[in-house]
Amino acid sequence: MRVFLISLLALFLTACGSGKKPDEQAFLNSLDSVKSGPTIDEEVINSILQQIPSPLEISVLLKESGTKYNAGMLNTPDNLPKYNSNYKKALNLGVFGTDLGYTNIYEQNQDGIKYLSSIKSLADGLNIGQFFDIETIGRLATNSKNLDSLLLITTQNFNSINHYLQTQSRANLSVLLLIGGWVEAMQITCQVAAKDMKNKELQEKIGEQKIILEQIVLLLSFYKDDANMASLLNDMNELKVAFDKINITYTYKESTMEIIDGVAVIKDNSSTTINVTNEDIEAIRTLTNSIRNKIIG
Amino acid sequence: MAHFNEEIKTTKLSFNANVEEFKFPNGAIGLRDVLIAEGPGKLIGIMGASGAGKTTLLLTLAGLEKPSKGEILINGFDIHNEKDKIQGVIGFVSQDDLLIEELTVYQNLYYNAKLCFATFTEAQLHERVMATLENLGLDQRKDLTVGSVLDKKISGGQRKRLNIALELIREPAILFLDEPTSGLSSRDSENVIDLLKELSLKGKLIFVVIHQPSSDIYKMFDKMVIMDTGGYPAYYGAPVEAVSYFKKATHQVDSNRGQCETCGNVNPEQIFNIIEAKVVDEYGQPTNKRKVTPPQWHDKYKERFKINRIEDVKEEPPSTLNIPSRFKQTAIFATRDFLSKLSNKQYLLINLLEAPLLAAILAFIIKYKSAPGGKEYIFRFNDNFPAFLLMSIIVALFMGLTVSAEEIIRDRKILKRESFLNLSWNSYLISKLAILFLLSAIQTLTFVIIGNVILEIHGMTFAFWFVLFTTSCLANVLGLNISSAFNSAVTVYVMIPLLLIPQMILSGLLFNFDKLNGIIATKGKVPVVADLMTSRWAYEAMATYQFKNNDYEATLFKYEKEEAKADFKAAYLADELKKRNLFVLENFESKNDSLKKLVAMNLSIIDDNLKNEPFRMGFEKIDLSNALDPKNYSKAVGALLNNYFEEYRKYYQKIYNENVSLIEKRMAFDEKNGVNINHEKNKYYNESLADLVKNITTKERLLEYKGKLIQQINPIFQETNPSNVMDYRTAFFLPQKNLAGINVDTYWFNLLVIWMMALLLYIALYFEWLRNLIDLFGKVNIPNKVTIPFKRK
Repeated sequence: MRVFLISLLALFLTACGSGKKPDEQAFLNSLDSVKSGPTIDEEVINSILQQIPSPLEISVLLKESGTKYNAGMLNTPDNLPKYNSNYKKALNLGVFGTDLGYTNIYEQNQDGIKYLSSIKSLADGLNIGQFFDIETIGRLATNSKNLDSLLLITTQNFNSINHYLQTQSRANLSVLLLIGGWVEAMQITCQVAAKDMKNKELQEKIGEQKIILEQIVLLLSFYKDDANMASLLNDMNELKVAFDKINITYTYKESTMEIIDGVAVIKDNSSTTINVTNEDIEAIRTLTNSIRNKIIG
Repeated sequence: MAHFNEEIKTTKLSFNANVEEFKFPNGAIGLRDVLIAEGPGKLIGIMGASGAGKTTLLLTLAGLEKPSKGEILINGFDIHNEKDKIQGVIGFVSQDDLLIEELTVYQNLYYNAKLCFATFTEAQLHERVMATLENLGLDQRKDLTVGSVLDKKISGGQRKRLNIALELIREPAILFLDEPTSGLSSRDSENVIDLLKELSLKGKLIFVVIHQPSSDIYKMFDKMVIMDTGGYPAYYGAPVEAVSYFKKATHQVDSNRGQCETCGNVNPEQIFNIIEAKVVDEYGQPTNKRKVTPPQWHDKYKERFKINRIEDVKEEPPSTLNIPSRFKQTAIFATRDFLSKLSNKQYLLINLLEAPLLAAILAFIIKYKSAPGGKEYIFRFNDNFPAFLLMSIIVALFMGLTVSAEEIIRDRKILKRESFLNLSWNSYLISKLAILFLLSAIQTLTFVIIGNVILEIHGMTFAFWFVLFTTSCLANVLGLNISSAFNSAVTVYVMIPLLLIPQMILSGLLFNFDKLNGIIATKGKVPVVADLMTSRWAYEAMATYQFKNNDYEATLFKYEKEEAKADFKAAYLADELKKRNLFVLENFESKNDSLKKLVAMNLSIIDDNLKNEPFRMGFEKIDLSNALDPKNYSKAVGALLNNYFEEYRKYYQKIYNENVSLIEKRMAFDEKNGVNINHEKNKYYNESLADLVKNITTKERLLEYKGKLIQQINPIFQETNPSNVMDYRTAFFLPQKNLAGINVDTYWFNLLVIWMMALLLYIALYFEWLRNLIDLFGKVNIPNKVTIPFKRK
């Protein structure tokens, strides 16, 4: 009986031991040394953001090129618990968005559901959970025939979220969301392209991203004061160096008008040539992969 | 002999009973016209056919039942109205065993003596106990456990003698015994009556209900009261003369011979043969009709016996009783109870193992590979955690109830005996609670420790234990209430689900408070019925505490709260209020009554939300409430408001972003200081619980209810908004509550509420409100006439 009581007491005491986090005062003192940077003009950022196309377009290209579905290329939803800061949450919300789109295009509904719940959970963490009606999602999810509409809703939600964040002076999240999505799409495309070096269309698509990357670098440069964003900007700049080797030439020709089935159609005769070498693709692939691993890790 | 006689002279005692009538609760008459007048030093027997009212008479004489007409005076003091004057004078040995079965013979007597003689030293107590045991021939058995009737350790005769010893030890001046010889061998019976005779010779007045006594025993009585069916007294006088009286009354031969002339035996059976003699019909068969009916015997009795009231002694009756202080009583009761529980190995084992066993089973079953990917168990992703909290509360309630529900019922007989001692009911209850609380403390502690260790819940041991302990204590008091109110253990156990199921229904976890019947539910506030439930308070306390104070959240809570508040205002409230303002702006000049009403309501909603708003840009100098009066509202005010809401939104967006960045910085700071945030979160934070207290599943984050806007999302980050100083009501899971104008942590507030409930229940227990209520229902007469559903010929 006595032994029982003593061991109980010992358990009680050890169970009480708590962590050793630095205290509040130390944190507040550390804040004073950091000066807040200049405010950022939200409108400029918003206008840039709107010019960047959705990374989902790349996925469509992949399927058309005849590559098979490969879940191993995607970020696993099991990584979800690692994302605790808003920075990580936003980036990976973008990543999962792209992954969801990829599964959607290949009609991999089982995997899609997993990404949906991860997306919902990250969105809740970012206070944008209102765009996901979990009840509707749950109800739709019980029937595999509903999956199409479910995924459509989610894609649309991404657009609403972007818009909402911009109106709420939280464009930085929108930027991260977009970069996350873009990097994931790049990563997938590069992997496919690296395996199939003959697919020029894919390589050109990658090369085209040069323009988008420039805008991303520009966007990130607004947030240099944020340590996380600054480090991301560094990585993107490295990537930009690799992209700089790619030449994009734009040849302008006068547009012509033709009558097709009695309707006047203006035909754009200008053309863009993108010169991408296999080495470029390999360099971009390696860099993208390392950035992407930083993001999802 | 001279010694005894002397004592009789010195005992000043008069006993005058005049029971004109005694009615049972169902209206039947139990006693009529009983007159008894006695002095000290008498051994009085009470006999009668079964159902004649012997025990009723004894109870009435002892003051345990109150006659509907008549009075009982001891030394001139009314037994019912002047209880304090005759304290300790009466001793009563009932037919039932009034022993504490788990204690030894010695302990039974010892604690009884301790309650009677406050001034005695331990040595004196021991001496007294030993003397009494020797007197009754129990000294050889003193260390034997009494045991239950089924599991006998001492013989029936010894049990009876111990029962008597419990009363004798304090030497009451008047002693009542109900069939002390029933079930005893003739040798044992004789011993018992011998002892009583001896006591009567020492000056005690002793009344004994006796059934079929042997001749020797019969003759030992000084007087005999013989009762006839229906509560009529038929005889009151010397025992041996009874036979000749009844013979004479029925004109039998040899009527003046009361006893056998050769052997001196008296046959008391004879008396009843005469009283109940039946009329014989023409065939010589006895019929159901009695020759002499009870009223006829009674008439004869009235002629023959002229009982004179004996003169009242003009002083307080002798009493050796000296009860200890209330505090000491508590200690004695508690020790006695503690010892008896300690000796009951089964009881002890089950009660001590129940909690850890339940915790182990529960925790083991709900521990699963919760980590995403299903590779390992991580506390953070255990979806069962919110349910585990509820289950632990239910277990605490259940254990608390079951452990206490039988306590008073089991003691009731002992309490009845001790009622003559006029001991403190309060002391008794406190002693019960002390032991039950101790048991609850151990039970809940083992439960929490085992549960928390298995489920890897860190840093919550004390906080959870205190909630469960509090809950269990309340259940203890509740259990004592039902235990004191009902007469049988079965009823009590049937009551337990009735008490527990509502606790589960209204705990707040199983059924959302917003989705209850409209009659009881209030949107945005916990329903009042739920406020009566301990489970709801305990659950809220545990859930909010775990969320707020776990090692991960503790440093972030402050910022997350500001973040959530600002987010709500910027993202929902600003738009909502703006929309309402635009509606007012459009319609405030309308003459339409229903539109007017809507305008007024919208204005009141705007006013309600801006009343305590710290951000006042553009309104610094305006009396807003006045401007928002439908009479004073103008286009200018509307335009001002419209601009204001835009600024309001921006202002709170800024605050939101500031707090978000603070959280990010705090995390980065901690990471820099060697804290692995992810590891901390996995260890201390539970996602399911967080979802619950943030109410993220709600469809409507903001809704209008009875002219108020109610925030549905993030209750855990909301502030109290009391309508007056005493308004304690909030939505479920608010981190703080209003206690008379001060904001108190929900954890402490809720615990206080449960202790207050326990206190209230204790008061109810002390005054036996529940018992009185049930007695009240019991008095409603249910007609018990049997209607036969068959056709009669």
